[in-house]
Amino acid sequence: MTLRRVFVLSFVAFLAVAGAVAASAFDEAMKAVAAGNHAAALPHFEAALAADPDSLLYATEYRHAVIKASQYDRCIAFFEKLVADHPRSAHAWLNYGYAYVDKIPAAGSITQVILANNSLKQFSQSITLERSWLALYTRGNSYLYWPKVFGRAPLGVTDLEEAVGIARKDAKPKRVYARSFVALGDGYWKTEQAEKARAIWQEGLQRFPGDAQLQARLARQGDELTSYIDDQLDPNKRVDTDLKPLLEGD
Amino acid sequence: MNAGRLVGGAGMALVLTALTGAAAPAASERDRWFEDITVRAGVARKHTNRVFHNPYAEIMAGYTALGAAVAVADYDGDGYEDLFVTDSAENGKNHLYHNDFRTTGTITFTDVAEQAGVADGNDADNASADALWLDYDNDGRPDLLLVRFGHNKLYHNLGGGKFKDVTREAGLDRYLNAITAIAFDYDRDGWVDLFIGAYFQPIDIFHPKTPRFFPESFETANNGGGVIVFHNNRDGTFSDVTEKVGIRLSGWTLDLGHGDADNDGDDDLYVACDFGTDRFFINNLKPGGDATFTDRTKETIGIDTKKGMNAEWGDYDNDGWLDVFVTNITDDYMREGNFLWRNNGPGPQGWPTFSDVAAETGTRETGWGWGGKFFDYDNDGWLDLYVVNGWVSAGPQSYVPDVFEMIVRPGVDLADARNWPPMGNKSLSGYEKKKLFHNLGGVFKDEAARHGLDSTRDGRGIAVADFDNDGRLDLFVANANAAPFLYHNVAPKTNHWAGFVLEGRASNRDAIGAQLRLTAGGRTLLRFVDGGNGFASQSTRRVYFGLGTAAAADRLEVRWPSGRRQVFAQPPIDRLMRIVEGEDRMRPLQ
Repeated sequence: MTLRRVFVLSFVAFLAVAGAVAASAFDEAMKAVAAGNHAAALPHFEAALAADPDSLLYATEYRHAVIKASQYDRCIAFFEKLVADHPRSAHAWLNYGYAYVDKIPAAGSITQVILANNSLKQFSQSITLERSWLALYTRGNSYLYWPKVFGRAPLGVTDLEEAVGIARKDAKPKRVYARSFVALGDGYWKTEQAEKARAIWQEGLQRFPGDAQLQARLARQGDELTSYIDDQLDPNKRVDTDLKPLLEGD
Repeated sequence: MNAGRLVGGAGMALVLTALTGAAAPAASERDRWFEDITVRAGVARKHTNRVFHNPYAEIMAGYTALGAAVAVADYDGDGYEDLFVTDSAENGKNHLYHNDFRTTGTITFTDVAEQAGVADGNDADNASADALWLDYDNDGRPDLLLVRFGHNKLYHNLGGGKFKDVTREAGLDRYLNAITAIAFDYDRDGWVDLFIGAYFQPIDIFHPKTPRFFPESFETANNGGGVIVFHNNRDGTFSDVTEKVGIRLSGWTLDLGHGDADNDGDDDLYVACDFGTDRFFINNLKPGGDATFTDRTKETIGIDTKKGMNAEWGDYDNDGWLDVFVTNITDDYMREGNFLWRNNGPGPQGWPTFSDVAAETGTRETGWGWGGKFFDYDNDGWLDLYVVNGWVSAGPQSYVPDVFEMIVRPGVDLADARNWPPMGNKSLSGYEKKKLFHNLGGVFKDEAARHGLDSTRDGRGIAVADFDNDGRLDLFVANANAAPFLYHNVAPKTNHWAGFVLEGRASNRDAIGAQLRLTAGGRTLLRFVDGGNGFASQSTRRVYFGLGTAAAADRLEVRWPSGRRQVFAQPPIDRLMRIVEGEDRMRPLQ
């Protein structure tokens, strides 16, 4: 057996063990969640993520438990360490950003700005590593929450146009892609491109028939639509950062 | 005057109308129930913000656009309400506007501040911020507290239109960056006490020796001036009892409001704080008990991180419990929303709880809110609400990105004034339209534009008073760095009203804190005598009830601060009546 072969086998064995450790910790965490003990689940989730930092499933369940336990700062600190340990993990950076977003509704209006700004930095790092639909949609959508005076909506449109482009090209489009059509339309609306907004929502509805968010926008006009979109982008309301729809495929 | 002349006059008017093309007022004007009489009434003198001369002057300019205040009282006892209006410029004179209605028959004022000895409220070391009328010596003449960044001033009303500065003798000569004051008799000893709210901590902000005097946080700042309580010693002096009564605060106080939240006979305290949590104190006074307060913020209103600026009490839903209206900041970049704290009454532990119903009542969003006052402008029996707003209306550029750039800077020391960007000629929540919320029976509709009350000047304080004693409540609005507004209420006289001036005997002379319950038309309304609630302003201490179409009142119950209760059957309506504590009969106001 060559040295190289020993190394490869060892690495495969390590991955297998790490995967088993992660899966086992995740199972423990989910048991605690099922028992309603979200705080107790957190260390298990963290162990699972430490072993598998790119897992979107582990991360989304972890953050869900964090929200239930109101342990936002713990979550932020955990992801800060995770990305330090795994700087090439695009998903870890993404979830680091989500950790800030998850705290926003629980924060005062000024802290909300700081959290939102921090989340953008992490999303950008994730995009630097991988220009995925998820990362582009996430950062693009985040820009739309910023007040007009900051001029960030056009940046959001740029990201979201790229995300929609990825969605259009995917041979197996996921239902969750509809969100990028919704958000891009919102971005056009916020940048006073009403016709483009309607067009992208209509395209989205053709691709994803029955999507409630797209239908709701197309059913409204003028001030009513503006008010509806403003309400949807209210930073005091919790943003849905659940990634399970992405994992479910369809 | 004969009939022929009258007809001739009318005919001439018709001819003139035809010649000039002047038409009858447009429908929109006929529907307008307030008339701007600021210039005609002689009260149009502009307020000017203080300009500082220190290393932080450019930064401070943006954060001290304050000091436009107004306080109402009939200081000379002629039966008509007068006005005290502040300026804040270094050489700016304050104004004591005497109401000349008795002699002129119209709402006109004469500035008598110089003759009265109350004009000089500003200098290099002091800036006027608010004012409060209070009869601290129970002699029946309203005295005047000038609230200042620097040293407050207490003017004793000597009668005959003269005042004397008695600050030192009264024990009130102390450096405070005070911004608000109210007076009420917290211990019910028959003398009003003083509650002063301070914005900056008590350092000389005109010549600061340190740059670290700005708020340390936008949401939990505790390096402000807090609240100071002065007990009235009944001999013309006051003593600081802040610690003794259990009020230990160091927040950035912007307003104080008192009211009896639990209807137990003593007044409780709401503290509106900038950069942090508003506070709610329950008065522990019980028979044989001590006159202290307990901080029940968590249990009553909860912990917030907003920018409370106004604490106005009133029973907006006519359920017999006083509610509280607090302004905060609501703009594109900061959507805090106001509080309309609906009083749920006492819970099982004995203290009241409040629910914020601003959103469902339509009063949540008023921009960068300042003063907000309840008053029943159409005398329908429901308290309406006027709210002024706007921080700095200057050039077209926004200051928001500048300040947010500072906020997101890692590790920035916000307490250090040098870290704050100068505002220059930029605007921040400027040119905002004021709101007149018409109470439709527990929910509100904005009618400001209809009535011409939607100015875009940077409003601060609002005083509500009936300057011509016609039962229709007028408004005086103090604007920062701008002329004020005097809005005369000219609503149709279709609804009835009742008005009362109370005179305490065992109670404090002004009966501050008295509760009145008037029954008419099948409903009982609660109002109370207010000791200066609301940002940068003091409304009338007279109590007005709108009666709607009820042509008579059945009953009036007065609960005096002393605890005495008096009931009057069929009190007169559509006129102002004077009630003296302990006297069986009320008399018309002379």
